[in-house]
Amino acid sequence: MLCGIDVGGTHTDAVLIGPHGVVACAKLPTNHDDLLASIREALASIVAVAGPTAISRLTLSTTLTTNAIIEGTADPVGVLVSGGPGIDPEAYRMGGHYHVLDGAIDHRGRQTGAIDLAAARPVIDAWAAAGVRAFAAVTKFSTRCPDQELALKALLADRSDCVSLGHEFSGRLGFGRRIATACLNSAVWRVYNRFCDAVEQSVAELGMTAALNVLKADGGTMPLSVSRTLPVQSILSGPAASVMGIIAVCDIAEDSIILDIGGTTTDIAVFAAGAPLIENEGIAIAGRSTLVRALRTRSIGVGGDSAISVSRQAVEVGPRRLGPPMALGGPVPTLVDALNIQNVIAVGDPRASYQGILAVAAANGFEPEEVAEAAILNAVNQIRSEVAAFVREINDRPVYTIFELLEGRQVRPTRVYVMGGPALALSALLQDAFSEEVVVPESFAVANAIGAALARPTFSVELFADTASGRLTIPSLGITRQVADNYSPAAAEGEAATCLRDYLASIGAEVEDAPIETVELSSFPMVEGQCLVGHNIRVACQVRPGVSAAYKQAVSKSC
Amino acid sequence: MLKARQPLGIVFFPAYDWAISPTHPERQERLLYTQDQLREEGVFDIGGITELKPDLATAEDVLRAHFCFPDVASVTTTSHLISAGGAIRAARTVLEKEAKRAFALVRPPGHHAMKVVHGARGFCNINIEAVMIEWLRDHYGPLRVAIVDTDCHHGDGTQDVYWNDPDTLFISLHQDGRTLYPGTGFPLELGGPKALGATVNIPLPPGTSDEGFLFAMREVVMPLIEDFKPDLIINSAGQDNHFSDPITDMAFSAQGYAQLTELLGADIAVLEGGYAIQGALPYVNLGLVLSMAGLDYSHVREPGFDAAAVRQSAQVTEYIEDVCRDILKEVRHPRGPGKGDVVAGWFTRRKTLYYDTDAITEYQTEAVRLCDHCRGVVKYETESTRNPLCLGVEAPVGACPACVEEAYRIYEAGQIKGEYRHLQLIDRVGKITSTYTG
Repeated sequence: MLCGIDVGGTHTDAVLIGPHGVVACAKLPTNHDDLLASIREALASIVAVAGPTAISRLTLSTTLTTNAIIEGTADPVGVLVSGGPGIDPEAYRMGGHYHVLDGAIDHRGRQTGAIDLAAARPVIDAWAAAGVRAFAAVTKFSTRCPDQELALKALLADRSDCVSLGHEFSGRLGFGRRIATACLNSAVWRVYNRFCDAVEQSVAELGMTAALNVLKADGGTMPLSVSRTLPVQSILSGPAASVMGIIAVCDIAEDSIILDIGGTTTDIAVFAAGAPLIENEGIAIAGRSTLVRALRTRSIGVGGDSAISVSRQAVEVGPRRLGPPMALGGPVPTLVDALNIQNVIAVGDPRASYQGILAVAAANGFEPEEVAEAAILNAVNQIRSEVAAFVREINDRPVYTIFELLEGRQVRPTRVYVMGGPALALSALLQDAFSEEVVVPESFAVANAIGAALARPTFSVELFADTASGRLTIPSLGITRQVADNYSPAAAEGEAATCLRDYLASIGAEVEDAPIETVELSSFPMVEGQCLVGHNIRVACQVRPGVSAAYKQAVSKSC
Repeated sequence: MLKARQPLGIVFFPAYDWAISPTHPERQERLLYTQDQLREEGVFDIGGITELKPDLATAEDVLRAHFCFPDVASVTTTSHLISAGGAIRAARTVLEKEAKRAFALVRPPGHHAMKVVHGARGFCNINIEAVMIEWLRDHYGPLRVAIVDTDCHHGDGTQDVYWNDPDTLFISLHQDGRTLYPGTGFPLELGGPKALGATVNIPLPPGTSDEGFLFAMREVVMPLIEDFKPDLIINSAGQDNHFSDPITDMAFSAQGYAQLTELLGADIAVLEGGYAIQGALPYVNLGLVLSMAGLDYSHVREPGFDAAAVRQSAQVTEYIEDVCRDILKEVRHPRGPGKGDVVAGWFTRRKTLYYDTDAITEYQTEAVRLCDHCRGVVKYETESTRNPLCLGVEAPVGACPACVEEAYRIYEAGQIKGEYRHLQLIDRVGKITSTYTG
């Protein structure tokens, strides 16, 4: 049986799924000071029902790394970079231990300036003396040629606990993103590995033998053992759990919108033909863009606890959350209070909701019912217009070929799936606002934990072959080899898929139904003088995020 | 995080599935390394820089700027319509204030395409700047526009399109026409009788480096723009003055291009030529983008660049100083329109044009009516090795009622007479274009 645990901001949800459906579930308040305690408690309650050996796979979604980065409790990192020509690498400075070295690689992976290792030595000595044990080494275009990063790693070998190299995270371009990704990875490395140690210990103490996985922001999983060297891949996996949950419990085949209306925000995701869209460039955290792949989602500050502000001109909801609803003892009226006095829901003390809204209404010469109705309408309208803007943005994305411009697939959602606390309460109003069919799945209380439990492993590789210089690289797998001058795009596509499959097998990921798809395949004739000298071939392959087919039937309800 | 001081929209359309021929300079690979460089530098992650999808220009958009014979479909491919649409998207971004500036990094280019189009010349079929500018004027009303063409080749097409338009200042800096295609662009080419001094040519000698270009910009281009007081400044941003360009002989650097861009302060830049696709384009384009966005470009430098090795000689410096002084004098006190005859109130000139890319020869008579009330109706009688005699007639923006009437009279008389195979009318006052095949 598969177990999923989602450690969320408010609750920790756990669920155990067998071949015939949900066997056990638990919902506990999250202990923010001790996330491990929340996990241990959730696991214990599952084990109490099912026994320790019944669980074959456990997948965790946790805010540990996200919190460490956002709260600034991660470790200091010594960052060595080389930029060569272009934007001044100082623009991407991370923290106080950041040093720019001479050295340059061009877009084809040719070293156009040697890396200055001699200058790096005293810098490393000074950092080591200051107690820095985590490092990152990043060079521009290292995905086309990782040699300079590898040279820096060798230099750091006996001085460090952890060295993150830029090219290990993605084959995609983005020097600033690569610096942030490698640096954040090293910054959370220690706290994450201690957490892994503790999780493994707890699992052993409970007598469990399950394979351990963690959820990533792209909605896929990776083995816990692998995540130890790539902890940054576990950031911001919260929305992914919800999205994977809705995939698990619903049969989504067409273009659709997913709305997860929470306490503070509404998260929006878009599905094309039943598959979630991925933000291939990577996700941003603490104001820094990274190369960590994520589901393409958008968040707006409209949720059940969003404060209502009233003026003579307008009634608005959010984006601030100033505490719980007044019905639950909060300081200001919220969307939940508005729904409460309109009798759409019954939360806490409805009189407190009424008094609170009455006060802000009277101050502006309105009736409380007017304000409540206007607030609900405002929230629904904000969600609707944000969804429209998001879909428009997706359909307006840049394209690079005539074919794409003329034939490029447009996303046209026909359904809106709504989940989260106020989902049911708002569904009728949302149906009025949307022309698409609005669907509230029957059971979504622990859909996020179900999403974690059933998510499949994902991984992506980018292959870059330059037959003129005779070199092929797959940066994220550390592969660099010679390539013949008749190497073809078809061969490249096959090799990328094979390497991806082999990698998944090597880390023990269950690849049963992990479909590998090519997301990019291009080949450019390279000409020098008037002669064709070779081809520049680029392939990107991925395992599309999805849920285990075998178990999906057990939890799927028609909705 | 980096943030643009000037919000910038970039339309990037590399047309990865289009080439003139597999080994032609204008091929799929041309913007590949530029895209790599911009992506690697994280240009599209910079706050205030937005990547935009091109529009698709329509035949109507093209017919506002050109006479196309036999018709638009025969002289364009989808690629040209996207390229022109990319320029339109860039302009729209600026006029609608979505960004302060915009850069259309698109291909194929357009500045060798003239008013009359029978095919491709200098890799250009339609003039994407002209299609863009006339789209703007159609949607936002009359605009005074300055076009500064910094491509190494003379912008003969743009010059021809705007030859009779006093509201468009066209300035071309280029390698001297005695040494490079298309062999035109001399200081005495100053515009038609109603637009004298609105065309300016600055031929520069082979070997001109950063200081020569920047001198011409400071001493000639900027003062003339200041005199003209344009509503919009457009840069036809060709990048083939680069010292590593394979088909030219100049010595400009990425730093020089970035400085020129900063000096010019164009609202809209549109990519033209530039065929050193590995050694120059990635760096020049990056420099341009950073410069337009008001960001630091001081670290942008070609690998192995040695300024001393490409610096222009003292003779070149002296020559450029002389030429610039003479040009300024000629432009401010023009001695009269160049070659042409006045026949019955029309200023007429005859042109023979060769379309090198498509191997077409065209024989053309251009006539502009010397009207006292407006810039005058213009007509083109043209035949080529591809088309028999054709007629194009235009009532320009701001044409007086008599000139509009004259335009229709000529168009209708042409149909009745039956001596033309294809006829095209552009009425910019009534916003009507019409075509007729006899």
